Amino acid sequence: MNCRILLLPLCLIVVAIVSGCATTNQRVLDSDGQTQLQKRSYQTRIFDTDNKEIVMRGVISTLQDLSFVVEKADLTLGAVTGTKFIQGQVIRMSVTVRPKGTTQMVVRANAQFGVQPIEDPKSYQDFFTSLEKSLFLTAQLGE
Amino acid sequence: MRAVAVAFAVLILAGCVTVPPDAFVVTQQQLAKRQIETRRFDGIKEEELLTAVSNLLQDTGFTLENSEVKLGLLLASKQRDATHGGEIVAAILIAVLTGAVTPISKDQTIRASVVVRPAQSESVGEIVKDSFFVRVTFQRIVRRTDNSTYVETLDDVELYKDFFDKLSKAVFLEAQKI
Repeated sequence: MNCRILLLPLCLIVVAIVSGCATTNQRVLDSDGQTQLQKRSYQTRIFDTDNKEIVMRGVISTLQDLSFVVEKADLTLGAVTGTKFIQGQVIRMSVTVRPKGTTQMVVRANAQFGVQPIEDPKSYQDFFTSLEKSLFLTAQLGE
Repeated sequence: MRAVAVAFAVLILAGCVTVPPDAFVVTQQQLAKRQIETRRFDGIKEEELLTAVSNLLQDTGFTLENSEVKLGLLLASKQRDATHGGEIVAAILIAVLTGAVTPISKDQTIRASVVVRPAQSESVGEIVKDSFFVRVTFQRIVRRTDNSTYVETLDDVELYKDFFDKLSKAVFLEAQKI
């Protein structure tokens, strides 16, 4: 009888623990309830210039202004990665620049804070506002 | 019981760490930092300046990790001892007074990221020939005796001043092809 009384709470605890954990597969390809399109819309901006190098140098100097240390950059691929230490945590951000047609550049950013993806559109909005100032260009929403 | 409650509270709070609201906004403080971390060099080609920087990084014991010459980027790092006299004394005092063992800094990875960018005229943003800004940032990742780590960006004005003094010499040596 005693065992039965204990069994129910024990089952509940096991269920609570198991359901609280995402499986590895879910973590590898997670997008936290947002669709790919939603993510792209706030992580992407379009600039009216055909000069990839200038946009990339602007991205690098914007990241530096935001106290990021730029770790990797590749002009051919159009990728820049940097990390920033804030309040003992690490923000890691990568930005890609690619041509759209012959007169525009698409800039896309994504970042994580500690072990969490940054999914707050305001953070990206702030980043692109800083980038606009650095490039002397106005960003357009697109994609 | 209290310890369990505290542990739970810590677990719950740790899950709720959010991005600081101004993490992607350039603040006045960061603009001041830009001044400290940047110097302008005139009358030199970009490759020569990057070569001078890489020579200086090697002079100061860094090994190169990554580079992209087309965008003026160099990343270098070095591993060094991080033991600190004051910290050891404090740890011993705490151990004597409370019996608790405090982990102390053991070793560290110091990283230097250097970016060279063409100088632009103030008004229209036009590129000035043979004139470049060099910006350097130093970070360190410190490992403690219990293998936990902490990270920080170094912001001592003297450190950056010293770096640029040395870079001026390296640029001179580069110009003389020494």
